[in-house]
Amino acid sequence: MTGYLVRRLLQLIPLLVGISILVFLMLQMTPGGPLASSEAPGATGRITAEELERMRNRYGLNDPLHVQYLNWAKDLFRGDWGTSFNTGRPVFDMIMERIPTTLLLTGIAFTATILVAIPIGLIAAVKQYTQLDYIATAIAFIGISVPSFWLSLMLLYLFSFELGWLPSVGLEDLRTEHHGFSAFVDRVRHLILPVAVLTMASAASLTRYLRSAMLDVLSQDYVRTARAKGLSETVTVGIHAFKNGSITIVTILALEIPDLFIGAVIVESIFAISGMGRLFVESANLRDYPVLMGILMISSTLVIVCNLLADLIYRMLDPRIRLG
Amino acid sequence: MSATVDLTALAGAQTPGLERSLDKPRTLWGDTWQQFRKHTLAVICLVMLLLITLGSIFGPIMLPYDPEQIDFESKSQAPSLSHPMGTDELGRDQLVRVLDGGRISLAVAAISVVMAMTLGTLVGSTAGYLGGAVDNVLMRIVDVFYSMPGLFVVILLLTVLGPGFWTIAIAIGVLRWMGTARLVRASFLSLKEAEFVEAARTIGVRGPIIVTRHLLPNALSPIIVAATLGMAGAILTESALSFLGLGFQPPQATWGRLLEEASNVVINKGHWWRGLFPGLMIFLVVLSVNFIGDGLRDAVDPRRRQR
Repeated sequence: MTGYLVRRLLQLIPLLVGISILVFLMLQMTPGGPLASSEAPGATGRITAEELERMRNRYGLNDPLHVQYLNWAKDLFRGDWGTSFNTGRPVFDMIMERIPTTLLLTGIAFTATILVAIPIGLIAAVKQYTQLDYIATAIAFIGISVPSFWLSLMLLYLFSFELGWLPSVGLEDLRTEHHGFSAFVDRVRHLILPVAVLTMASAASLTRYLRSAMLDVLSQDYVRTARAKGLSETVTVGIHAFKNGSITIVTILALEIPDLFIGAVIVESIFAISGMGRLFVESANLRDYPVLMGILMISSTLVIVCNLLADLIYRMLDPRIRLG
Repeated sequence: MSATVDLTALAGAQTPGLERSLDKPRTLWGDTWQQFRKHTLAVICLVMLLLITLGSIFGPIMLPYDPEQIDFESKSQAPSLSHPMGTDELGRDQLVRVLDGGRISLAVAAISVVMAMTLGTLVGSTAGYLGGAVDNVLMRIVDVFYSMPGLFVVILLLTVLGPGFWTIAIAIGVLRWMGTARLVRASFLSLKEAEFVEAARTIGVRGPIIVTRHLLPNALSPIIVAATLGMAGAILTESALSFLGLGFQPPQATWGRLLEEASNVVINKGHWWRGLFPGLMIFLVVLSVNFIGDGLRDAVDPRRRQR
C-alpha cells in the first residue's frame, strides 16, 4: 500500500506541471498579457510606452517563454500568486478569505446528498421495476436535467416573493442584528435554498449510481445464499449487499466533491453568497486574471486530490484489487 | 442529427457480438432503431426534441411578432391568448423570443458537441491505433484536461477569447472531448487485435483505410451515445454561461440570457412567466436528450437489450 501511495503521489507531479503549463499559456493569451492591469480602465494613471517597456524588463516579460514559466511556477510554489488587478491585494489572501463560505455551503450540501441519495437509491434497487422505483428514477432524471439556475430562480420566486418564508440573498440578515440562537436560525434560513439546489443535482446522479451498484450486487450468488439460508431481507440487503455496494458509492462520493464546488459557482452567484465561486465570476467579469488563475489552480488540485482519494478508498475497501 | 447520415453509410457494418437472425438480413442501425422504439419514453422525448427544434427554426418566421419588436402598450403582461408566454418590460413577445433564443442555444450546443466528438475521435483513434509513446503522451494530455474543472476553464477561455457564437462553441467543445477520446481509444485497443482487422492487414489494406473502414464504424455506437448525452451538458453549460453574463451578450436572446434578464423581475416583482418559460425549455431539451441517450445506450449495447 505504501509503495502504491508513493507511486500515485509521484504521478501527481507531471499532472500538476501539465495543468500549470496550460494555465500559464492561457495567461499568455490574455489580451495585453500579464501587464494588462496597467492599461486597464481601473488602473491608477495611464503609463507611457517607455515606462511599460521598463516594467516589462523588470517583471522579466522580455525573457524567453520557458524562463518566464519557470519563474512563474516558482512563485506559485512559494504561495506568491500575484496581486489582484482589481483590489491590488495578494490573490492567495483573497481566495483564502472566501473558501470557508464555500466549504460551509458545499459541506452541508454534501451531507444532505448522502442522507437523501442513499435511502432512495437503496429502495429503488430493492424494489426494482415497481412504482417506487419508477418514481425514484423519474425524480432522479428530473434532478439531473433541471438547470440549477432555473431551479434557484423558481424557488426564490415561490418561497421568497410569493410566500415570503425565506430570504433571497446572502448568508445573513443585514438589516437586523441577530444573536445566539436567533443568529443560528437566521443562518439556517439563508442556507435552505442554496443547499437544496446544490443537493438536488448531486443527489440525483448519486441515486442512479447507487441503484445500479446495488443491482449488480443483489444479483450475485452470495446474496442468493444469504436469502436461501433464511436471513431476513433487512440483514441481506442492509448488511451483506450494502457493504459491497458501498464501495462504489464511496468512490463516487469522492468524485462528487469537485462537482459540488463547480455547482457552487452558479448557486453563489444567484444567491449573492460571497464564496470562492462568486469571486471567480466577479473576477471573470473584471478580467482579473491573477485571481482566475489562482482559483483554477486550487480547484484543479482539488479535482486531482479527490480522484486520488477515490482510487485509494476503492483499493482499501475492495480486497479483490488490493495488489502491490 | 448525424444519425440519419450514418444509417446508410454504415449499413452492413460488421458488429461482433450481435446476434443475427438467419431469415432476413439485419443491419446495425436497423437493429438499433428496432430496440430504440421499444423505449417508449425515449421515443416521446425524441418527438418533443424535434418539435422544439422545428419550433425554434420556423416559429420566429410564422409568429406575428418580431423578437426585437418593442410595444409599450403591452409591457410586462402575464401569459394570455395573444402572448402565450407573456411579454417583457419592453412589451416584447416572450414566445417568439424564447423560440428565437432556442435556435442559438441549440446551434451552439450542437456545434460544440460536433467539435468535441471530432477532436475526441481524432485523439482517441490516434492514441489507440498507434499505441506506445504517442498513446502515452496523448492520454497524459487527456488526464491534464480531465483534472481541470470544466466550467472554470470555459469561463476563463471566454474572458480571454471574448464572447461570441464561435468562441462560446469552441470554449464548450474544448471542455468535452476527453471522454470521447478515452472511449474511442479503448475500443480501438481491443478492436485492432480482432481477427477481421488482422485479416484486412494480411491482404495488404493500408493503415488509414483500416482505421476509417474497419475500426471507426465499429467504435461508433459509444461515440453516438456520448454525443447525445453531451448535448445535455453543452446546453446546460451555454445557458449557465449566458445566465452568469459571460456568454451571449444582449440583445441576442438565448435561453440563458432570457433567464438572466428575467432574474430581477422574477424575484422582486413576481413576473413568474419571465423565468418559467425559458428555463422550462432548457429543462425539457436536457431531459429529452438524457432520455434519448439512455434509450440509445440500451439500444446499441447488445448486453442491455430487452428481448
